[in-house]
Amino acid sequence: MKKRKIKNIILDVKDLKKTFGNNIILNNINFNLLEGESLAIIGASGSGKSVLLKNIIGLLEPDTGSIKINSTEMVNLPRRDKENLLLKLGITFQHGALFDSLKIWENIIFKIQNQQKISKIDGRKLALSIIKRLSLKPEILDLFPSEISGGMQKRVAIARAICGNPKILLFDEPTSGLDPVTGSVIDKLIITAVKTIGASAITITHDMASVSRIADKVILIDKKTISWSGTPKEMLVSKNLKIKEFIKSTNPKLFS
Amino acid sequence: MIKTILNLFGSVGNKSLKFIANIGHFFIFCFSAISWIFRPPWYFKKILLQVIDIGYFSLPVVGLTTFFSGMVLALQTYNGFTEFNSESTVARVVLTSITRELGPVLTGLMVAGRIGAKMAAEIATMKVTEQIDALGTLGTRPMQYLIAPKIIASVICLPFLVFVGNTIGILGGYTIAIFKLDFNPDLYLFATLDNLQWIDLVQGSVKAATFGLIISMVSCYFGFNASKGAEGVGYATTVSVVVSSVMILTSTYIITALFFG
Repeated sequence: MKKRKIKNIILDVKDLKKTFGNNIILNNINFNLLEGESLAIIGASGSGKSVLLKNIIGLLEPDTGSIKINSTEMVNLPRRDKENLLLKLGITFQHGALFDSLKIWENIIFKIQNQQKISKIDGRKLALSIIKRLSLKPEILDLFPSEISGGMQKRVAIARAICGNPKILLFDEPTSGLDPVTGSVIDKLIITAVKTIGASAITITHDMASVSRIADKVILIDKKTISWSGTPKEMLVSKNLKIKEFIKSTNPKLFS
Repeated sequence: MIKTILNLFGSVGNKSLKFIANIGHFFIFCFSAISWIFRPPWYFKKILLQVIDIGYFSLPVVGLTTFFSGMVLALQTYNGFTEFNSESTVARVVLTSITRELGPVLTGLMVAGRIGAKMAAEIATMKVTEQIDALGTLGTRPMQYLIAPKIIASVICLPFLVFVGNTIGILGGYTIAIFKLDFNPDLYLFATLDNLQWIDLVQGSVKAATFGLIISMVSCYFGFNASKGAEGVGYATTVSVVVSSVMILTSTYIITALFFG
């Protein structure tokens, strides 16, 4: 993954500011994501990481600033154009956000099914091919989300995110609430997913072990802005107090 | 003392402003939801599932409620009217009360309790578990995919349920009149059919469709705006049933006044 060829800027965030009422959540956020690059966003709980993600995927509108996806400005884009742009993204939410009323295979092909008419047999075949690519068991296809474990739900959410080969994958705390073994499986799945479809990735996480496994670049959000950025290797030797504190508290062994 | 009074006024003013803002949000939501009903694509499978859930699975509760209401109505009317030697009007009173008021209102309240609560809880759960956010990122508009089918199905099903409820309610009255109060079956039936008026059925259907709209809109609104996890889901469910019920009782007066006022 780290040897992947780095290309053009696929996501460019400039001077982003977001407030809720009088409360400033994010200020002066600047970063970009290159084609094929995997970026990890770290930060304490409540630091605004998920708000940043929601701004990128258009669920929230920034107060000021610019978000360009493939050179197309997302901010204040008409609804229809925004929807089309969002189809280029694959997103997994913190708790999977699978649709309870749909079977696993219907969840996986949901986006494709909305874009084009697809028969039940073809849809199931497509879902099967995706979960095979991610080494998941085909038996789960006909189950409902409530019938599988939380870890499995997150894996299915990744399968849903990569369906339709999006250009950018966004993962919101994919390993939160999981044991280290399942967390490691999810990381491998993210690496496989990114490699398989050749996408760029943004992962929001607290898990430093996960960062070292999946990221090419890391940014730290602290005090409403990006207070540090670098590679995972640079992160380990960083003199930045917040980074040190973050690594120590989440994974002392990694730091030592 | 003055500070306490000022704080009290401030608090009341703040709550009043919030209340007015919420009403504004509700009407914006209603306008948006209705506009999505007329725009393709239409999710026919989802509409059909809702029709089955609302129209078919509500039949037992609506049937039971209206049947016993019809029975009670016949019994009470008979007891009251005997004092004035007007027992012969029992059939008419039962018919008019049920078709004009009791049938639609009881059906509306039952559906608000059964379906409204379910709609609000379902949408609120989807909201707090980010499923609605996910819908928006997967090329689907939540208003069109989630809300519109519920509104369409509610408006279609409520008049049907009210029609069935009215028939069962009248049957309840008939049962008591014949088997307990010793009315002549033919005369009772004749009196019922003779007093049946189109305006009553039309008014009942208008009320039913309005109640369907109210229940679906209110439940979806509170579900869609739920927050704070499980507590938010509980709140959305409770408040949607309460508000739907109050709005049903308010609107039934307005519709009655429009037809017969």
